[in-house]
Amino acid sequence: MDPVKITLDGKEITTEKGKTVIQAAADAGIDIPHYCYHPKLTIAGNCRMCLVEIEKMPKLQIACNTQATEGMAVKTQSPKVLEARRAVMEFLLINHPLDCPICDQAGECWLQDYYMKHDLTPSRFDERKEHERKREIFGPYVVFDGERCIKCTRCVRFFQEVTHTDELTVVNRGDHSTIALFPGQTLDNPLSVNVVDICPVGALTDRDFRFKVRVWYLKKTPSICPGCSTGCNISVETYQNRIARFKPRVNEAVNSHWLCDEGRYVFHSLTEGERLTSPMIRQEGGLVPVDWDTALQAVAAGLAANAPAAAILSGRSTNEEAFLFGRMMKKISPEAKQEVFYRERELTEVEKVLMSPDRSPNFRGARHMGVGSEAGVEPLLQAIIEGRLRSAYIVGEDLVSLSEDGENLKSALGKLSFLVVQDIRMTPTAALAHVVLPATHFGEKAGTYTNRRGRVQKLEAAIVPPAGALQDWEIFSRLLGESYAAPEEIFAVAAREVPAYAGLDYEKIGALGADLEAQKQ
Amino acid sequence: MEKILLRNIDAPDSHTLAGHRSRGGYRALEKVLREMTPEKLIDEVKASGLRGRGGAGFPTGMKWGFVPKDNPKPKYVVCNADESEPGTFKDRLLIEKDPHAIVEGTIIAAYAIRSHTAFIYIRGEMFYGAQVLERAIDEAAAAGYLGKNILGSGYDIDLILHRGAGAYICGEETGLLSSLEGGKGWPKLKPPFPATHGLFGSPTVVNNVETLAALPWIIEQGAARYAAIGTEKSKGTKLFSVSGHIKKPGVYEVDMGYPFKKFLEEDCGGVANGRKLKGVIPGGASMPVLRAEELDGITMDYESFQAAGTLLGSGGVIVMDESTCMVRAAWNIARFFAHESCGQCSPCREGCHWMEKIFNRIEHGAGRAGDLEMILSISGNIGGNTICPFGDAASWPAAAFIKKFRSEFDEHIAAGKCTIH
Amino acid sequence: MLPVLYLAQREFGYIGPEVMDYVAEIMDVPVARVYGVVTFYTMFNMKPIGRHHIQVCRTLPCALAGSERITAAIKEKLKIDVGETTPDGRFTLTEVECLASCGTAPMMQVNDDYYENLTEKNVGEILDRLK
Repeated sequence: MDPVKITLDGKEITTEKGKTVIQAAADAGIDIPHYCYHPKLTIAGNCRMCLVEIEKMPKLQIACNTQATEGMAVKTQSPKVLEARRAVMEFLLINHPLDCPICDQAGECWLQDYYMKHDLTPSRFDERKEHERKREIFGPYVVFDGERCIKCTRCVRFFQEVTHTDELTVVNRGDHSTIALFPGQTLDNPLSVNVVDICPVGALTDRDFRFKVRVWYLKKTPSICPGCSTGCNISVETYQNRIARFKPRVNEAVNSHWLCDEGRYVFHSLTEGERLTSPMIRQEGGLVPVDWDTALQAVAAGLAANAPAAAILSGRSTNEEAFLFGRMMKKISPEAKQEVFYRERELTEVEKVLMSPDRSPNFRGARHMGVGSEAGVEPLLQAIIEGRLRSAYIVGEDLVSLSEDGENLKSALGKLSFLVVQDIRMTPTAALAHVVLPATHFGEKAGTYTNRRGRVQKLEAAIVPPAGALQDWEIFSRLLGESYAAPEEIFAVAAREVPAYAGLDYEKIGALGADLEAQKQ
Repeated sequence: MEKILLRNIDAPDSHTLAGHRSRGGYRALEKVLREMTPEKLIDEVKASGLRGRGGAGFPTGMKWGFVPKDNPKPKYVVCNADESEPGTFKDRLLIEKDPHAIVEGTIIAAYAIRSHTAFIYIRGEMFYGAQVLERAIDEAAAAGYLGKNILGSGYDIDLILHRGAGAYICGEETGLLSSLEGGKGWPKLKPPFPATHGLFGSPTVVNNVETLAALPWIIEQGAARYAAIGTEKSKGTKLFSVSGHIKKPGVYEVDMGYPFKKFLEEDCGGVANGRKLKGVIPGGASMPVLRAEELDGITMDYESFQAAGTLLGSGGVIVMDESTCMVRAAWNIARFFAHESCGQCSPCREGCHWMEKIFNRIEHGAGRAGDLEMILSISGNIGGNTICPFGDAASWPAAAFIKKFRSEFDEHIAAGKCTIH
Repeated sequence: MLPVLYLAQREFGYIGPEVMDYVAEIMDVPVARVYGVVTFYTMFNMKPIGRHHIQVCRTLPCALAGSERITAAIKEKLKIDVGETTPDGRFTLTEVECLASCGTAPMMQVNDDYYENLTEKNVGEILDRLK
């Protein structure tokens, strides 16, 4: 590091050669207001909001494009700077529509936020505002409002520089400049909704989230996306115990600032639908509700009496759940073949920017915890179809719906002497079971995932499961005959028994995760 | 007065190679190739005191000197022939009548910075001028002044003509480069500067047509002779384009330092139709207007115009007599800038059209108290806060018209209509 | 890019979406980039215009010389407004900004040619000659 000392509002800060004033300020915890600047995109310098005063320079300079040089003295609160900020805010607002009451961005809008923080002067504009296209559907998830747009070009640059798909451009000139898609094109690349995140105003909004809930009502819980084994860091944002949306959290080691569209909306398919609220046992007429003790006794007895068994754990199970599941199955059914559900697929070039070719976020962690082998789940499914197994315990995956050979698998599962299905909904697979156990999904779990690259990251429970359902780890610990207060305790035991995880705990994992390789050192 | 730039244009064959050569054309280039290193050439041009004639007036030799000599990237010279400043038509005259002076000057400039590829960027509307230039380039190439190993000197130079497509902002040097690169004419952030990061990210010099056309004479006659003309800070001659309510509109070549009032009243014949002078814009529509009473003592050079609160700019002299409604004139210019704003940065994109809207309202009888203060405030908020000088160019005339003709604006607003007619 | 767009406009008459697609293909650039460029410059037409594009300069020096009277005369003669095309497709009338001909104001450009020192009378004669 080549250190450079500058003063910012009289305070001396040390930064690196090559950093701009806005970066140096951000590193020192000082936010210089800005719109068009984004740490992962090229510098546009068009909003002019980050104008600051620099000693010995007669004109104000934009902080985003000014290199910090030794001895530079920067003022971010001088009268000239405050005046310029008010001027820029005024210019941005003169043609801005009075949409706040109906705009999704309200509450997280940078025009609102900066107006409150840096402006607070009444509007002097008394002419007719320019009008533009509103509610223009750009793609399946993104809708555009040309009047709200401040032409910062973050969206244009994102598609040029991150996805390299170049869908958007600025057309026309002067104050008729606007963002446009080429006629007939659609904005449907796999990372398209990231521009909704980076749009500072309500010009680009999420169609899925549209009008659902005001953002200031959202409870925000940091967690990990359950979509694939990249393990993008997310914020699960909920209202009245339902997930309203995902937003990415910044983690340069994993997903930077981004989230893919599939992961962003995966909570719909993974959590919606009627929930199981009671254990069930198959009797003459069909599945009937029973209490937990009855159900779990039936599970233990059924598996012991019907070896050999197949044990298939969801790729979305946490490390804590996998650790208990592996030991539990060994105890109840020692010859059982255990596997984690993992299936690979082809990714397009744009998908490869962020996504992993699977839908099993914790396949790697589960294997570390002792579940599964190199052979993978496919031979085990084949063995079930061929009738070579007598029982099965399936956790969290609707195998019948996922299988390419659904009919054969369904009939094979139906022919098993004993089938336990642990899930959140009455899926076609659960409908075949002898015992059904109601459990939880990722949004209700605390625990850890280990991503494809060997980084252990924490999930936190964002919502509360329905009454009657138990956490997966609680079910396994009861079957195991052990007792734990919380997943953190389970992790502590696992860290002692799995050498790769030695020395790790929730505190060390923190909000951004910890690499397994690094821990070895 | 010395005739340097316009010395050739009266001959009917002034635009041909034969005509140019018959009057000593390309001797300067031959001298450069034969006797001068690039460093010596730069020194000579520095000594001449030649300043950029496009409007900014930056010393030409100094600009060339900023190009890093040992940079491995290719270097470019671009002749800015995008003449679009209202009131300016001097480059067009040179393009149509003395294209070889421009070609020769461009090659000389290229040699100075060791460039092997030069461009002439001509505004799209000048179709005829582009034809004349293209023919001149072909003639020069055929005669061995362009191409590989020109005149056996070992120096290679290609010259490419590129047409613009209708955008005033492409006259701004980095807007021009963006356009030449095949994009919108969006000016680039400075720093870095074109001298180190210009066309395609390579060291580039952009010079105006008139600047380059002056080079052959300077080389042949010597820097000292050029510097002997003019004033201390403004050397040589300048082409002034005179239009508006003047008896003899046209392009005039003037020794720097010549008295402005004398120029208008005598050389240009004074105000047409026996009317009285009301105001003059001296340097193209971007420059603050002067009241008739302010002209005494002003001489036609950079320093004097600046001391008078305006700028020499492109030397586009727009003469307005007593029949001119200054409100309408101000609106006309505000409308020009609103139309030509590229739209990249927020103060200019929003502010220019805001000013136009207010001027428009005042002109058409719906002016309100506070409108003029509003325009002055907007003008002050645009100036100095933009990516490129267009913001200043748009804000100065708006403020100047109001400041210089305040009572006329007040009366126009109060009466709800023009009080001149 | 600009030279290619000029060629395209000459060949196809105007630069509509199909032409932009074609230019994007041969230039190997995203079509959005072509779209942004075409909409930025006044001389590229995205819709067909009349055979003779009359562009009257309206900036200050020409305005001082009476350009508004010239525009009014043309509107009167052709019975179209600024921005419109005659029904027979012969003329399109637009107003443009300074064409660097201020010394011979008022003036207009029709397609590639400048017509200078206009009067209300001679502009009619000029238009009559343009078939």
